[in-house]
Amino acid sequence: MKIALAQISPVLGDVARNLDLHLETIEKARRAKADLLVFPELSLTGYRLRDLAAETARDPRSSREFKALRAAGRGLSVIVGFVEESPEEPGLFYNSAAFLVQGEITHIHRKIFLPNSGMFEELRFFARGRTVRAFETPWGRAGLLICRDFLHLNAHYLLFAGGAGISITVSAAPGRGVAGEDGFATSRMWEVTGEAVARLTTSVVIYCNRSGFEDGAAFAGGSFIFDPFGNLVARARYVESDFLLAEIDPADIRRARRAMTFKRDDRPEVTLANLERIIHRDED
Amino acid sequence: MKINPAFVEKILTSFIREEMGKAGFKKGILGLSGGVDSAVCAILAARALGPKNVIALIMPYGKGFGSDLDDARRLSKFLKLDTRTIDISPMVDAYFKKHPTDKLVLKGNKMARERMSILYDWSAREKSLILGTSNKSELLIGYGTLHGDLACAFNPLGDLYKTQVRALATHLGVPEPIRTKAPSACLWPGQTDESEIGLTYAELDEILERLVDGRESEDEVVARGYPRSRVARIARLIRKSEFKRQMPPIAKISARTIGHDFLYPYDWNK
Repeated sequence: MKIALAQISPVLGDVARNLDLHLETIEKARRAKADLLVFPELSLTGYRLRDLAAETARDPRSSREFKALRAAGRGLSVIVGFVEESPEEPGLFYNSAAFLVQGEITHIHRKIFLPNSGMFEELRFFARGRTVRAFETPWGRAGLLICRDFLHLNAHYLLFAGGAGISITVSAAPGRGVAGEDGFATSRMWEVTGEAVARLTTSVVIYCNRSGFEDGAAFAGGSFIFDPFGNLVARARYVESDFLLAEIDPADIRRARRAMTFKRDDRPEVTLANLERIIHRDED
Repeated sequence: MKINPAFVEKILTSFIREEMGKAGFKKGILGLSGGVDSAVCAILAARALGPKNVIALIMPYGKGFGSDLDDARRLSKFLKLDTRTIDISPMVDAYFKKHPTDKLVLKGNKMARERMSILYDWSAREKSLILGTSNKSELLIGYGTLHGDLACAFNPLGDLYKTQVRALATHLGVPEPIRTKAPSACLWPGQTDESEIGLTYAELDEILERLVDGRESEDEVVARGYPRSRVARIARLIRKSEFKRQMPPIAKISARTIGHDFLYPYDWNK
């Protein structure tokens, strides 16, 4: 399975120009014979949208841009980040990512954990997603997360319990801290988490971040892929834009799960029972 | 667009008093141009702080343009403000003698920044805070000079459209000639805002209010019967001037960066 990670720098608030960038990149991935092309979080709109969130929101079922993406996406699978607004929930804007297989949307994930401290203010502009659901892909069950979701343990656990063997995260993570050898200090956090999740869930972990600056904040780049044993398969350049191509073997998931039996030994009912107790404050 | 001018006066005079008090200042200072915005601001300041605590700087270029100089003088006298008149032409002319240009906008910007420079100098000499006089219409379309007339310590008028400033002016008793003359940035003789913008403020404000306060899309505003070219131009002016409404971006590299995640209220420690 050949994976392409588009570590791009979308134009903030300009959906038309970003669509062009997507279509060009899809062509590039097609020429490279990629099976799956991943774009970063909010790739169609840019990240620091503030009030532009409402103005760049799209219904993936009816929007012109998604029509173009669906037409262009035949022959491969593509993950696109966008602001979602559906006619059923007017005025609610979700930070979403869509999974398109052969031009058809087979799954949409709405970001659940919206960062809202320090430099982040997503809760001011976005509604919160509520569902983490593993879904079928041509390479087996997978899961999709968006940026901060990746830093919450329970998101990974739900995908693991739901049967995902491939975990994909789209991100627009800014960098902080410049004392290290290469890249921002915060890039370590994503990489260490990626490796740990790959090992603990015996899954392929794919992380696509973005590049560029918005209002002075630099996005850290450094997109990566870990195999289900926790080995780094490939990593994109830090900070700069990049187009990372890497090959993974989905059969590794089976091999890893034979060697490390975390999936077989998992007991979601124990987790659930304990969560019920914790949530209902029934102390032992 | 309608405002209750008496209530607005009450809010804005409280705001001026409170901003002064929090910053530990008794006196306010502002540039008096002879136009309606600075006149309204001067009256509000005089009512909030007492006329003795309001310094009015009249800063004509030479003899000024049109009746503005006389109007400004008459108003400050009528309001009994602490008034100084400083001619900016020696400074401005000295600069352009060395670096000539025939571009009126460059000259206009230089004048606006010369006035800013003098205002800040006098605010330090007189321990006073600078009141901004830019209205919402100008701020939204970027009709102001960055670090020129846009510079201030706080701005009582920034959320009032020009149309609303005029309504407030009537309520506050701003003299007729100031209220009815064509608004001008006074950057060159005969300049008027409305000819430069290509719209009357009434036309501009109506569309601004729909786009901004009403959160209507350009298409929705056009559907109400406004010409598309006009709506599109105003929307473009708003987009193009965002940089005049914000602090410039700082490149974030550290764990905590001013403006990104070093976030304190403007009223910090006041």
